[in-house]
Amino acid sequence: MKYIITVFISLFYLGTTTLVQCQDMTELTSQCAASAGDVTYLKDFPVSLDAGAPGGKPPTAQFSFLLSKNTAYRFSICTAADSEGEAVLELYELGKRIGTTYFESTGKEFPFFDLKVQSTGVYHLFISFKDGKPGQAVGIMSFIKRL
Amino acid sequence: MVKKIIYILFVLLLLSGCNKSCSDGGDDDQFVLPDSLLYKTKEIDPTVIEGFIEGMSNPVEMAALIKSLDVQYSSKHLASTDNIEKFTTQAQQAFNLGIFGTDLGYLNMYNKTNIVLDYIGAIKTLSDGINVGQFFDFTTLKRLAQNNQNLDSLMYISVHSFNEMDRYLREDNRSNLSVLIITGVWLEGMYLATQVYKEMPHPELKERIGEQKIVIDELMLFIKNFKQNRFFNVLITELDVLHKEFADVSITVQKGEPEMIEEDGMLVIVQNDISTIEISDTRVENIIKLTEQIRNKLISN
Repeated sequence: MKYIITVFISLFYLGTTTLVQCQDMTELTSQCAASAGDVTYLKDFPVSLDAGAPGGKPPTAQFSFLLSKNTAYRFSICTAADSEGEAVLELYELGKRIGTTYFESTGKEFPFFDLKVQSTGVYHLFISFKDGKPGQAVGIMSFIKRL
Repeated sequence: MVKKIIYILFVLLLLSGCNKSCSDGGDDDQFVLPDSLLYKTKEIDPTVIEGFIEGMSNPVEMAALIKSLDVQYSSKHLASTDNIEKFTTQAQQAFNLGIFGTDLGYLNMYNKTNIVLDYIGAIKTLSDGINVGQFFDFTTLKRLAQNNQNLDSLMYISVHSFNEMDRYLREDNRSNLSVLIITGVWLEGMYLATQVYKEMPHPELKERIGEQKIVIDELMLFIKNFKQNRFFNVLITELDVLHKEFADVSITVQKGEPEMIEEDGMLVIVQNDISTIEISDTRVENIIKLTEQIRNKLISN
């Protein structure tokens, strides 16, 4: 009987913890969208990643979307307050990295970058955590203006 | 006594677990059959669907472009909210949810808060129909619209709710409905662009219409996966005709090296590609006509 009660209590705890995490993510998304500045929010990319294997590639979340020419977009990244790892957002086009919020060689970081798109096509966004640590974060894509 | 404890714990467990995917309502969430049971179709790899849907069409981007061209707002471009009771199947409801989602984006973009309420109401009815009403915070949206305040929040909550709903449907193995919503969003965006172009033939709009070749190519692949459903079948028949009109649209890209500029601590990346979209005037005229016909037919069904 004790076993059944323990199982129920554990499941209940798990359920409420998940709910709290979900609410945190919604709040983080809203704060991140607001911190992007005077732009129009288009899409958010919430991620929650486990730690990577030692020496291996850090786990990465990937998203694809269409960007239009003559348009300026903003890509922002916000790491959750209780996240162990710090999130990095990278943007690729045809397998080539064209933008990042973190430059490993210089250690320079940016909360967002703007992209002035000149060619319409499918772009790929990657979010990972530095040193393959586990973490939660959200990436935001916003419309800035027509060029 | 023990039975009572188990009962209480069971109820608490249900309450804590019912809020799947972070919805803030959940009380009207009903049991819904997944795609695999609703339709006997070839299963699409969820990662492929995810990759396609994530950003193929957005309910505000076309409206943002139209507004940036200094085009005046026009209510005649909007779908009527009068007949939503006619949409009785989940497929119709999902598709029209996409249509109204784009219209809501258009209204928000032009700050038309007086009409926005009708569209919020229509979206509520349709989203409840496919059991995703819990993602729309209608009370807040209504308050923001009525008070004509925090218009940025109104826009944010509308679009974010839409994204959440779409994500939930895919996670819930109901990507068929997600595909329909995205198709509705896209078709209404196309309708807005083509209607505006008809009145104001701006070259940028022409290019934007031409580049939809990329979207319709992908869209057709995905909707054909659900051809067993009657509504999808109608969609396929209608959109196939439109798809053919895009066949000779040419999109060429001359690659250039992207440039990174740091200005006042902000990073700006300038792409130096040269992209050319070639589409003849006759082709655009056909696309305008067909888009209008198809959209009007589908929203009146």
